[in-house]
Amino acid sequence: MNLLENLARASLLFSLWLLVLTADLGAAERGQTGVQLKIDTILASNQNDDFDPRLSGMKNQLAELKYRSYRLLKEETQKVPWQANATFDIPRGRVLGVVPQEYRNDRVSLKVRLLEGDKPLLDTTLTIRNRRNFLLAGPAHEGGVLILSISVTTQ
Amino acid sequence: MMDCEAIKRSLGTWLDGALGPLEAEAIERHLEVCPLCLGERTRLERLEASLKSVLEERASGIAFEPFWGGVRQRIEEKRSRHVRLSDWATPVFSPQRLAWAIPLIIVFLIGLFSLEGFFPGWFGGQSRSNLTAVESIDAHGLNVALFRQSKTKTLVIWLFQHQEGEDESSGESGQGQPSF
Amino acid sequence: MAAFQELVARYYHKVFMVVLGIFNHREDAMELAQEAFFRAYRKIKSFKGGSAFYTWLYRIAVNLSIDFKRRQRRNPMELREAMDGVMEERGELGKDPYSDVQGRELGRRLMAAINDLTPGHKAVIVLRAVEGLSYKEIGQILGCSEGTVMSRLHYARKKLQEKLAPFLG
Repeated sequence: MNLLENLARASLLFSLWLLVLTADLGAAERGQTGVQLKIDTILASNQNDDFDPRLSGMKNQLAELKYRSYRLLKEETQKVPWQANATFDIPRGRVLGVVPQEYRNDRVSLKVRLLEGDKPLLDTTLTIRNRRNFLLAGPAHEGGVLILSISVTTQ
Repeated sequence: MMDCEAIKRSLGTWLDGALGPLEAEAIERHLEVCPLCLGERTRLERLEASLKSVLEERASGIAFEPFWGGVRQRIEEKRSRHVRLSDWATPVFSPQRLAWAIPLIIVFLIGLFSLEGFFPGWFGGQSRSNLTAVESIDAHGLNVALFRQSKTKTLVIWLFQHQEGEDESSGESGQGQPSF
Repeated sequence: MAAFQELVARYYHKVFMVVLGIFNHREDAMELAQEAFFRAYRKIKSFKGGSAFYTWLYRIAVNLSIDFKRRQRRNPMELREAMDGVMEERGELGKDPYSDVQGRELGRRLMAAINDLTPGHKAVIVLRAVEGLSYKEIGQILGCSEGTVMSRLHYARKKLQEKLAPFLG
């Protein structure tokens, strides 16, 4: 009886835990009101060997791009509801527009548009894992290249 | 000169013969002149004697043959290796512990795989955690390259364009790296 | 096996006395003492002669008794009743200096008082009383220092004296 009692107790606790876990997961997806978008505007060049310490979290990603120096020009964060359009100013009159579409299976669907004034340079729809980023290498700037790191986190 | 409290504390050790010679002598001299401590010594000796007597009495009448019979029976059971292993393993796999261990292991494994969501790639590389899928792309006449970094698996969208007015040699771009 | 039988013959009574002092139940003490010898038989090859054989043997018996005692779930009152029953059944005459009646009462109260001690305290008092082992030998058996043996003995004797004061004069 002791064994049965212990098994029953353990199973009950385990079931409760599973219930909480699944309930939590379900709530997580249902309760998302939008995303937080973070755009890091980075200047990559070979003019020197400086590495901006503020970019240390992305060192591995930037290292694969083979430039010698990386400097963070601007960092901007916006909270964007689903289907709303967020715009970010990029040097030299460019604008990055991002529309978060939906959240499913821990992945966020985004529409991304890069404009130069009114002229579209790039339109893309992609699905990215929550809390991840991707890179969009854009215009030449000050002897180097602009790299935009676009990070997405659901809210 | 030791006081009575100190003597009483040491009496047991003295009776056991475990005191040093100087201390023992001090106690002996004290007992010659102190009836209270002498009484304490007597009570302690009676206690020790009673203990031994009672234990001997209670243990008396145990014959050797039946006792040895019990020991031999255990030996002659010739526990197999399997039984010895079972004896060794039983405390580990006791039903009580197993009852808790099994669900705990399951919980642990689930937690382990769930951590992948919070610490991507920790469980053997970043091979899958950072994959971004491009569903559609339109560069509006510009050349565009998509590639995935080999180590970090990060998606990179690279735009190519030769723009009028741009100094194509302006600055040193990355080796072989295209830019607007 | 014959050699081991000789060892059992030499030590079985003392081992049984020690186990009985700790465990305070005759039938269980018999089982435990036999088990202690059985385990000694199985481990005999691991006895390296670093201590006296009886020290090693007592260590097995005492550890077994203490472990069993700690896991014991019996009502302590049952033990006292069992002990009373055994003593009455056997019609034991006291061998101590007092009268038979007073001796039996002392014996009963003494075992009851010992039973109230912790297994660790019981072990030291019984080993000292049964064998007159030195503090060093008791320490080797119990895996503790001589200082610990000394303090445990002092504490145990003090407790027993408190409970048996009318009988000790």
